[in-house]
Amino acid sequence: MSDKRTTHFGYREVDEDAKAGLVANVFHSVAGRYDLMNDLMSGGIHRIWKRFTIELSAVRTGQSVLDIAGGTGDLAAKFADIVGPTGRVVLADINESMLNVGRDKLLDHGYQGNLEFVQADAQYLPFPDDSFDCVSIAFGLRNVTDKALALRSMLRVLKPGGRLLVLEFSKPVNPLLEKAYDGYSFRVLPFMGRLVAGDSDSYQYLAESIRMHPDQDTLLGMLEDAGFVNCEYHNLTGGVVALHRGFKA
Amino acid sequence: MAPAGLDPTLTTAALAALEAALNRALALDPAGQRQLAGLAGRTFAIECTSPVVHVYLQPGAERTRLLGYYDGPVTTRVRGSAADFAQLAGASDPAATLINGNLVLQGDSAPLIELQGIIGRLDLDWEAPLVNVLGDVAGHQLAQFLRAGFSAGTAASSSLLRQLEEFIHEEARLTPPRLEVEDFYGDVQALQQRVERLQSRLERLRKRIRSAGQ
Repeated sequence: MSDKRTTHFGYREVDEDAKAGLVANVFHSVAGRYDLMNDLMSGGIHRIWKRFTIELSAVRTGQSVLDIAGGTGDLAAKFADIVGPTGRVVLADINESMLNVGRDKLLDHGYQGNLEFVQADAQYLPFPDDSFDCVSIAFGLRNVTDKALALRSMLRVLKPGGRLLVLEFSKPVNPLLEKAYDGYSFRVLPFMGRLVAGDSDSYQYLAESIRMHPDQDTLLGMLEDAGFVNCEYHNLTGGVVALHRGFKA
Repeated sequence: MAPAGLDPTLTTAALAALEAALNRALALDPAGQRQLAGLAGRTFAIECTSPVVHVYLQPGAERTRLLGYYDGPVTTRVRGSAADFAQLAGASDPAATLINGNLVLQGDSAPLIELQGIIGRLDLDWEAPLVNVLGDVAGHQLAQFLRAGFSAGTAASSSLLRQLEEFIHEEARLTPPRLEVEDFYGDVQALQQRVERLQSRLERLRKRIRSAGQ
């Protein structure tokens, strides 16, 4: 019997050491069409979810923000606008392809000066303690191998009083909506993935990883276990997505 | 903050649409946009009690933001019903409306009055987007036609209002004219003061009589 620890990759059980590589392959594959697919898959609603995240971040001029798994830079761009030239935004992503797409996009849109790009693993953030006023991770936590380790790492780099925002797919609160959502995720998404990005397997993984992700209350407990205080969550679009927020004491 | 029970997706989407429309309108009045930029850094909390909607307005140098949630310091907080806000938006004397109306105000009122003034003075230049779409000649002509129509409509509506006011006050005598009412209130106030003075003189006299009798 193998003594290696395992974790899930979609519905499959894989060695913990292998998950990061498998997730990396998914995002290398989808990076080029990531924005387009997000718009198609969510009908553009992901922009509304991200806008709500920005509102709850309460980020102000001159503050420092770390956007983990920042991908193509949607949140980082908004944060950069708000913090202004005296602030600092770090867009971090473990995946080189996603980071390249995000960096090219933001530089093409004229973002510079207050924006840095760092290839980093959410579990081992390469920043000093108490560095950021706000840490955000949107649609990234479910791909992290050890979520508890990542949450503790995020707590470490937050300044006291700073806030963490986790925007992630979750469990719909209405059973009818859940059924419709299941049908959409497992039939329509892979089909759209094959049609637009030429890759149905990656989108099948996305659907499976969403189902394997902890539900609202479990994730809330994980935030509290990691040491965050005043934790809460808001269900968006009937719980299809949830925004969790916690503070560093 | 969103009304209780409503999915934040809906309220956030509505605010995003409203913010986009507001900024598009402001882009058509560069002077108004510049004046609004002077209020950058201020946050106005608008709390409508019926229907229950809380919105935070943050003017900026380039964009004005509308937020459903805001944790930071608020410059001015105004609370009231939708009708009260409509009254303030259309008021020629916003300070008097704030003092005499039903709106509850917390914080600094001066920036709010300035904001109301800027919104009231907005003069949108519809010609620029029309010219961009239709070209110089057709765009200018359509803009001129719209301007003429708009100014004729404004003149007709103000003339109608004036004549209606004159009929109510002078012809039908349904309500007294404003000046007459103000004059009447002035007389009532003067009479009230004279009565109060007389009362205090009587009181003084009564005290003097009482002390003389002892």
